[in-house]
Amino acid sequence: MPNFPVLFPDTFPINLVVIGTIILTGLVVLIVMRVAVSKMDVRRPRGVQNFVEWAIDFTAGIARDTMPTETAVRFVLPLAFFTLFFLFIANWLGLIMTISVKLGHPIPALGLTAAKLASTKGSVIFFDSPTANMSCALGLAVLVWLISHARGLRHPKLWFRHFFSPSPLGLLEEITNPLTHGMRLFGNIFAGEALLTVMLQAPFALGWIPWTLPLILLWLLYAGFVATVQAYVFSVLLCLYIGNKSFEGHEHHA
Amino acid sequence: MFELGTFIFSIVAFLLMFWIVSAVGFKPIAKMLEQRRVHVTSQIEEAEKSREEAERILAEQQRVLEESRKEAKAILEAARVRAEEQARTILQEAQAESARILEDGRALIERERAEAMNEVLSRVANLTVELTTKLLAEHVTAQVQEEMLAKAEKRLGELVC
Repeated sequence: MPNFPVLFPDTFPINLVVIGTIILTGLVVLIVMRVAVSKMDVRRPRGVQNFVEWAIDFTAGIARDTMPTETAVRFVLPLAFFTLFFLFIANWLGLIMTISVKLGHPIPALGLTAAKLASTKGSVIFFDSPTANMSCALGLAVLVWLISHARGLRHPKLWFRHFFSPSPLGLLEEITNPLTHGMRLFGNIFAGEALLTVMLQAPFALGWIPWTLPLILLWLLYAGFVATVQAYVFSVLLCLYIGNKSFEGHEHHA
Repeated sequence: MFELGTFIFSIVAFLLMFWIVSAVGFKPIAKMLEQRRVHVTSQIEEAEKSREEAERILAEQQRVLEESRKEAKAILEAARVRAEEQARTILQEAQAESARILEDGRALIERERAEAMNEVLSRVANLTVELTTKLLAEHVTAQVQEEMLAKAEKRLGELVC
């Protein structure tokens, strides 16, 4: 298991790399949005504005497919757009680079004890995809789950009834949905990076032939594809889960 | 490994970034998109309205043109009819006038002929009387004169009739 700098390792472990990269990714999104806003023109969109407008339009298309009403679309659009954009960058971060540092001495305050350092020969990761961390991915999924229920509770009767129609098995979904939602994202991104790390660490044949290089390039392309698709899938499911619990559209035939 | 702290602070960090981006990045663009939508809609509406207006005006123009053409035709037709009427009237009047003049001439001729005849007759009668008076003054008695006068009157009557 790779080592990360962790705050409060024994009581309330907070992975600092994950929090840092989440904020970094958010800042990248913010900068792109600000560039788009700064040269904004109603009549003649140009450059970044075009791209952002296209992305918003794309997200709105996803939302319209899964939301019952236009009000629900307007509610979910900012979140879906930000999630799509955020995950796209976050998933790519670990593919672009993973920084690990070799520590000579242990730092117990950050959870880097001597025993842990020994298991990875002293290397500690300082930069990685936040979504390659299970807790983070599950956190995002649970956030979506919470938002969906908060929205569902605007119509408490319908919200209560939907657990038992068509069958009480719906209750099971309340556990499996957020779990698969988060684990799917985490698994895909983590696997991509893990395999990449393994291949990078493979010894050269005969001491000098980098025989894994074509494999790495191929896998990098594939992992990039997966990273993009997972960002899309996560956003689609976000819309779907929130849409399923937006009961405004069902009122008249409830 | 599930780490509760990472889990919770991921959510917090994500929400924080979402809130910031949403407020300063997404809202202005969404507002601008809405503005553009309204602008485009209003432009289309306006264009439709002006096209309708243009069509209406064109129809109006055509209607007016058609009307004036019809009117001109009607006026022309009326003028033609009146001219014909006038021509016919003039012709009729001329015919009537000529007929009247002819009639007058005939009547005049007839009257003059009658007058001339009357004069001739009276003259003949007078002459006869004078002649007879002269002839009879010596030969004829009053009785013979009466007979002759009657005979003459009878002959004159035949002559006149």
